[in-house]
Amino acid sequence: MKVIQVKCPHCNNPIKMKQKDLLFYCDSCKTIHVRDGGINVIDYEIGDFGRNAPQGDRIYVPFWRLYCSFTIKNMKVEGGGLFKLSNWVKGGAGTGGDIFIFVPASDFDPATFKRLAIMLTTLPPRYNSRTDFNNVPRLPTTMSREEAAQMAHFVVITMEAEKPGTLQDLDYTLNVNDARAVYLPFLTSPQGLVLGI
Amino acid sequence: MPDLSIGLNCPACGGAVSVQEGEGVLNCQYCDSTLFIEGDKGVQTIAFKMKVTKESAIAAAQGWWKKGFKARDLKRTGKIIEVYPIYIPFWSTTARVAGWVCGYEERRHSDSKGNTRVERIPKEVMVLSDYRYSEIACDPGDLGIRTLRNFSGERSFADFEMIPTFETTTSKDVAAKDARSKAEEWGREQANVPHVTFERLYVVPHNMSIIYYPIWVVRYSYRERMYMNTVDGVTGTVLSGRAPGDPLFQSLAITFGSAAGGIVSGAGLLLAAFSEADQNGAYFAVGGFVIGGLLLFGTYRFFRRGSEIVEGEFSDKEGSAKTGLGDIKQISQTLSQIGGRYP
Repeated sequence: MKVIQVKCPHCNNPIKMKQKDLLFYCDSCKTIHVRDGGINVIDYEIGDFGRNAPQGDRIYVPFWRLYCSFTIKNMKVEGGGLFKLSNWVKGGAGTGGDIFIFVPASDFDPATFKRLAIMLTTLPPRYNSRTDFNNVPRLPTTMSREEAAQMAHFVVITMEAEKPGTLQDLDYTLNVNDARAVYLPFLTSPQGLVLGI
Repeated sequence: MPDLSIGLNCPACGGAVSVQEGEGVLNCQYCDSTLFIEGDKGVQTIAFKMKVTKESAIAAAQGWWKKGFKARDLKRTGKIIEVYPIYIPFWSTTARVAGWVCGYEERRHSDSKGNTRVERIPKEVMVLSDYRYSEIACDPGDLGIRTLRNFSGERSFADFEMIPTFETTTSKDVAAKDARSKAEEWGREQANVPHVTFERLYVVPHNMSIIYYPIWVVRYSYRERMYMNTVDGVTGTVLSGRAPGDPLFQSLAITFGSAAGGIVSGAGLLLAAFSEADQNGAYFAVGGFVIGGLLLFGTYRFFRRGSEIVEGEFSDKEGSAKTGLGDIKQISQTLSQIGGRYP
C-alpha cells in the first residue's frame, strides 16, 4: 500500500478537495481526471444557475450523461389500448433512437435516484455551460462510469414500463456511445432537490 | 468509525495521516491535499464493542431455555459449564438492486357447476432498493450463526486484544460474488411475480467490509449431555442454541396429531360417499385425504425431531422440533392454497 499525492495530469498542480470523490477536479486548469486502473482525463460539463436562483441553496449534483443508441427489437405489453391507438394515429411509437440518459452519480436514496434519472432523461435540461463551480459546493461522485452504464438499462426499462399497459416482454439493445460527467445546478429545498436552471 | 488504521505520512506536508483499510481516497487534515492509495487497499474493518456482561449472557440463555417445546425441567436441571466471549468476522456490504420483473399471476375461479376458469393477471414490478448483505467470514462450526442481524452499536477495537478472534477463511472475491447473487435473488423475491416473462436486475455493490462481532458462547449440560447457546454481545439476544426436547410434548404430538390426521382423512371420505352425484364430493375426498396426510406427516416429523430443539442458522438442522413447526406452517400454507382452489 502506498499513499501518493493526487496531482493534475494536465498542469501537475496538487488537487485539494474537502470531500472523498471519485472525480478529481483541478482548481487551476479545470481538468477532471479519474484513477480507475490508470489516470484518465475525462470530459465534463458544468451547468450555470438561473439568474434568480438563490445563492445560499445552490449545489452542484454530478450525473453521468450517457449518449446511447436504444433499439427496441420486440416489446409485448398487456392493456394500454388507448395509448397504443394514439401512438398508431401519430404514426407509431417508434422503436428507439439515440438518447441522452442521465444517471445520478452521487449517493442518493432509491426514490431520489429514480426521480432525478427519469426527470432528466425524459426532459433533458437546457443550460448554459460554465468552466468552474464558482465556489458553489458540489456533491461527491460515488458511482463509476461502468456502474452508470448498468443503471442506464434500468432507466430505459423504467421509461418503457411506466407507459400505459403492463409490460410483459422487452427485447432491446442499448449501446453507450459516450459518457460524460455533467454537474447540474440544483437548489436545496424542503421538498428535496430542485433544478436551479 | 473504526480505529484500525495504518499510520502514514502525507507525501506533501509530512503530516501524519491515518488510512482506514478499504479506503481509496483521503484528504490530509493539515494541508488539504487529496491523497490516493495505490496497491491493495485491503478491506475496511469494523469491530463492535462488547456491551453485554457475562451475567447478562447467562440470564439470556436461561430465559431461552424456558421458551418453546424444550424440556420442562431444563431451567432447574441445566448447569452452566462455561461461558466465554469470541469475535466472529462477517463480510458485509450494501448493494443497490435496480430493475424490473414482469410476468403474470394466475387466479383460479370456480362457478357453482364446478367449472374452473383461470384468470391471468399481468404484473410489472420495479425493484429499486438497497440490499444489505452479511455472511460469516470463517467456518462457524457448530455455532449456528451465518449472518449478521444487528448493524448498529458502538464501534471500538478496545476489546480486540482481550477477546479471542476467529480467523477470516473466505476471500473478499468469493464474498463479493455471493453478495451479488444474493442481492439479485432478493430483488426477485421482492418483486414476487409468480410467472416471470421478463426480468432485468442490476446490482451495484458498494465497498465490502469485515465486521468483527462479539458473541458470548454459553455451554451447559442437561442430564449428562452437552448443549450450547450463542448470545449477541451487543444486543444481548440469543442468536442460536441447542436444547433437549420434552418426551411429553412428543407423545402429545404423536397422539393428537395422528388422531386429527385420521379424522380429517376419514371425514373427507365420508363426505365424498354421502354427497349425491355432486362433483364437489371428489374435492372433499381428495382434499380431506391430502390434509389428513399432511397432518400426519407434520406430526411424524415433530415426533422424530422433537428430542432436540435447535434454533439458529445451523447447516444441518436434524433433530429440530422447530423444523417440525416449520412443516406445520408449510402445511397451513398448502391448506390455504387448497382452500383457494376448492372453495
